[in-house]
Amino acid sequence: MAKTLLSRFIVLRSLSTQLIASCLFILVISAPANAQAVDAAQAKVTLALATEPPTLNSAVATDTIAGFILSHLMEGLLVYDANGQLAAGVAERWQLDADGASFWLRESARWSDGKPVTAHDFVFAWRHALKPTTASQYAFIFYPVKNAEAVNNGKLPESELGVRAVSDYELRVEFGQPCPYFLSLAAFMTFLPMREDVLDHWGSRYAADSDKLVFNGAFVLEKWIHGAHLRLRKNSQYWQADSVKINEIDMPYITADPSAQFNLFRDGQIAIAPLDTGLLNEAVERGFDIEYFHTGSLFFLEFNFREGRITANRSFRKAVQRLIDPDLLVNKIIGLPGIKPAYSLFPVTVKGMKDPFREEYPVMRVDPDIAAAREYLAQAKEELGLDKFPPLVLLAGDSPRALQEAEYYQYLFKKGLGIELRIDQQVFKQRIEKMRRGDFDIVAAAWGPDYDDIMTFADLFASWNENNRGRYSNPLYDRWIRLAQHSSDTRTRFNAMAQIQRIVVEDVPILPTYENGSLYVQNPRLKGVRRSIFGGDPFFRYAWIEQ
Amino acid sequence: MTISVFRFAPKTWGSADDLEMVAPIALPSMASPTVILSATVVVFLLLFVSVGPLLWQQSPSQQWLSQISDGPSPAYSVRVISDNGAWRPSALSDMPAGLKVHAANTEYVRLHWPVLEGVTRYRIYRGDAHKPGLGLAIADTSDNYFQDRLQLSRELYRYTIADADTGLLLLAREIRPEAAISAFEAQLQGLIPVTNNTSQWVELPAHPLGTDALGRDMLARLMAGGRTSLFVGVVAPLLYISFGCIFGAIAGLMGGWVDQLAMRFVDFVVALPFLLFMILFRVAFGIGPGENGIMPLILAMLMLSWPGSARLIRGQVLALRSQPFVEASRIAGVGTSRMILRHMLPNVLPMILVAFSFAIPQAIFTEAFLSFIGMGVSPPTTSWGALCNDGIKTLLSHPRQLLLPALFISLSVLAFNILGDALRDATDRRSGVVRA
Repeated sequence: MAKTLLSRFIVLRSLSTQLIASCLFILVISAPANAQAVDAAQAKVTLALATEPPTLNSAVATDTIAGFILSHLMEGLLVYDANGQLAAGVAERWQLDADGASFWLRESARWSDGKPVTAHDFVFAWRHALKPTTASQYAFIFYPVKNAEAVNNGKLPESELGVRAVSDYELRVEFGQPCPYFLSLAAFMTFLPMREDVLDHWGSRYAADSDKLVFNGAFVLEKWIHGAHLRLRKNSQYWQADSVKINEIDMPYITADPSAQFNLFRDGQIAIAPLDTGLLNEAVERGFDIEYFHTGSLFFLEFNFREGRITANRSFRKAVQRLIDPDLLVNKIIGLPGIKPAYSLFPVTVKGMKDPFREEYPVMRVDPDIAAAREYLAQAKEELGLDKFPPLVLLAGDSPRALQEAEYYQYLFKKGLGIELRIDQQVFKQRIEKMRRGDFDIVAAAWGPDYDDIMTFADLFASWNENNRGRYSNPLYDRWIRLAQHSSDTRTRFNAMAQIQRIVVEDVPILPTYENGSLYVQNPRLKGVRRSIFGGDPFFRYAWIEQ
Repeated sequence: MTISVFRFAPKTWGSADDLEMVAPIALPSMASPTVILSATVVVFLLLFVSVGPLLWQQSPSQQWLSQISDGPSPAYSVRVISDNGAWRPSALSDMPAGLKVHAANTEYVRLHWPVLEGVTRYRIYRGDAHKPGLGLAIADTSDNYFQDRLQLSRELYRYTIADADTGLLLLAREIRPEAAISAFEAQLQGLIPVTNNTSQWVELPAHPLGTDALGRDMLARLMAGGRTSLFVGVVAPLLYISFGCIFGAIAGLMGGWVDQLAMRFVDFVVALPFLLFMILFRVAFGIGPGENGIMPLILAMLMLSWPGSARLIRGQVLALRSQPFVEASRIAGVGTSRMILRHMLPNVLPMILVAFSFAIPQAIFTEAFLSFIGMGVSPPTTSWGALCNDGIKTLLSHPRQLLLPALFISLSVLAFNILGDALRDATDRRSGVVRA
């Protein structure tokens, strides 16, 4: 999910996590002796969590971990079913037309405190997320809704937002621009319902602890010891509680270190563990079934376009583009099957008109060429009037893979271009904060799709997008996005997207590096866990444990 | 460590008989085999990090992408491969009878097989030919050809093609890829000129200890890492013991309220949780992201590690001050500076040396630990601790990458500890005459 990347599989090197990591041994010892990966008698699954979710407030959450937890705790108008298709959630029926959408809510939907889930909870949640004071980074995702942008900028009162509760169980949404993908939006995290009375009661402490929010999903958050332990338990108030087979999801380990997670898996302590390069052979030798899925996320290097940054120079970026070969990075450095080199802003999983977008509109591949890179660099030097390039800062994540990648870039820059690259390794939260402040020259970032439409990637580098961390601003790019947003003709939309794809290759606002795939091992008794791009991953709502 | 407060013991004068009975206790020999061995190790380590890089002139940060995680290997010739694009068998090429290998080198293995009726998706497995099992499923494809580029090395592989839907094994073949390097990498490493793309052979260097996960030479990295580790290990103790000695000596010599104040300050510093403040200081001193962290590290160690030696010296100086021979010389009118030179310094010097020799392994270990948890030096600078941190990621598949730097840390810490022990024994004489 957006912002970043960072899948659960990353090693944190923050102070706190470090301490946790160093105490892993102690943790293992102190875990109850009967802890096991899956417990069929109690229908209990034990997992390790890569990091603690920064927040569980659905209006402001942005990361995959919060997305994973929230998808179990809350239910939106629509959900993704066991096969990853959109299905009925709180909404029983819906109707999508050119200028809006109507949702009829089921009366059996309940909050965990027994109150019914009503259309007012959705209206409140959406207005709350758009309030300028909430400062939700996902506010932009509401923009297809009528007046959403004006409400978010404080130009209109929130009551003007194009959503209203026709009755307790009927919700009407008015669009400000065509939005053929609104149903998939309705299943997204930021569109989850929220209870006004609970939020008013807790104020800024809302969702800070397990008792400071209410749930309408398949599970409730039973325990949340910050930085150490989360536990989900089946929600007896859930309208479909009978079909939920898992009683308890226990997450007593928080470690992003894949080796630590793999060891826990090997010892039968957790049910699912991600694999990294160094663990692959071991897993093969032990005869574990290695499974894989494309997470749909794109990893890329993002350049800083703020005033005075060298990276704002196009020739410089072209030089970098000719230097870094995604194919080499993926095959030699990362070395995991399933991870694909990326050449386009749009991963291969993005849908086009009929076929995948990338099959309909193939991307132009730029081959690495040191001679050309050096020519571009000389040109950049001239344009910038520099004798020598100062050291540049590469902001990177703190996982082993991120560091390895960063060290590779550091070497390439030094050897290929003679530029010193300094690696600024930061933990997830800190990195996001530094990205927001623009405190970098180049950042190794990633983006996971939020909803099942090409626009989730395309508008990322529009000048108005909050998540455009480099503050890339290209009127041409913006124009194609506007055109696509205001058109309901699919061909026009996708032709505009092809233009966006071309701009990204030619102007290099970002340099795609790889499309992430996730390799993992899973306890063979645990069945039906959905791994998918949308709707929270992994997803246990439909899972069961075989006897 | 226990170090006697006095370098001498007051001699008790008994009868004349007793006097003759007192035989001087034999000095522990400095030349025991352990000491010689550990001294040799220390000298070896120092030579390793200082002379080593002159003899083994590989850059510790050079990344040989075609030799990632290689075992120890001699220099060998490789072919330069310039074609790194996508591949598909030409329409003209015949339908192979079995699993056909169009090319097999460490840049790509190109497989082509006959279209099999009823199979919609093929799954390609790649495994070590010497081990049972299919190995790793590297891809699923609906075509009847495949190009494998995934971290190939010069070992013997067994490729197996299976039906992805039924799991039925269809074809298998053992292949040993020929050593190759991509033209891009050869150009980057300066093996061939940038303008040259024609196929040719180049020589890849030897790696006596293999390479790490980014293809860097382990031997060169151990030398470079040892430089950092030993530099921190020697310089940091030198600084903080000197500071501690001066501080302690001033407190001891001045006595009175100065002493009180100084010692309360020492108590305060001792009370700071070492690791936590070490990390805090490092963050606070952090000049900028990604810059070399050695200086802040040394500074942090200096600020937190001096109280031990300050207390030690202060106690010794205090005790010496009240010794009769010191009082005698004071009465005789000896000046302060001469007194310090003549009486104080010779009597505290051995103790300082012992403290120093014990501080070295401690400092090496602290640096290694901080680098291991990622709070030490930043890349491309490396140290033994940082090497361990790199190596732990590949512990299961390539244990060498962790064990080698760990071995060097252990060796150096052990050697310095034994030396310190011997030094203490040698100076810790309970008898003998004070050089007054």
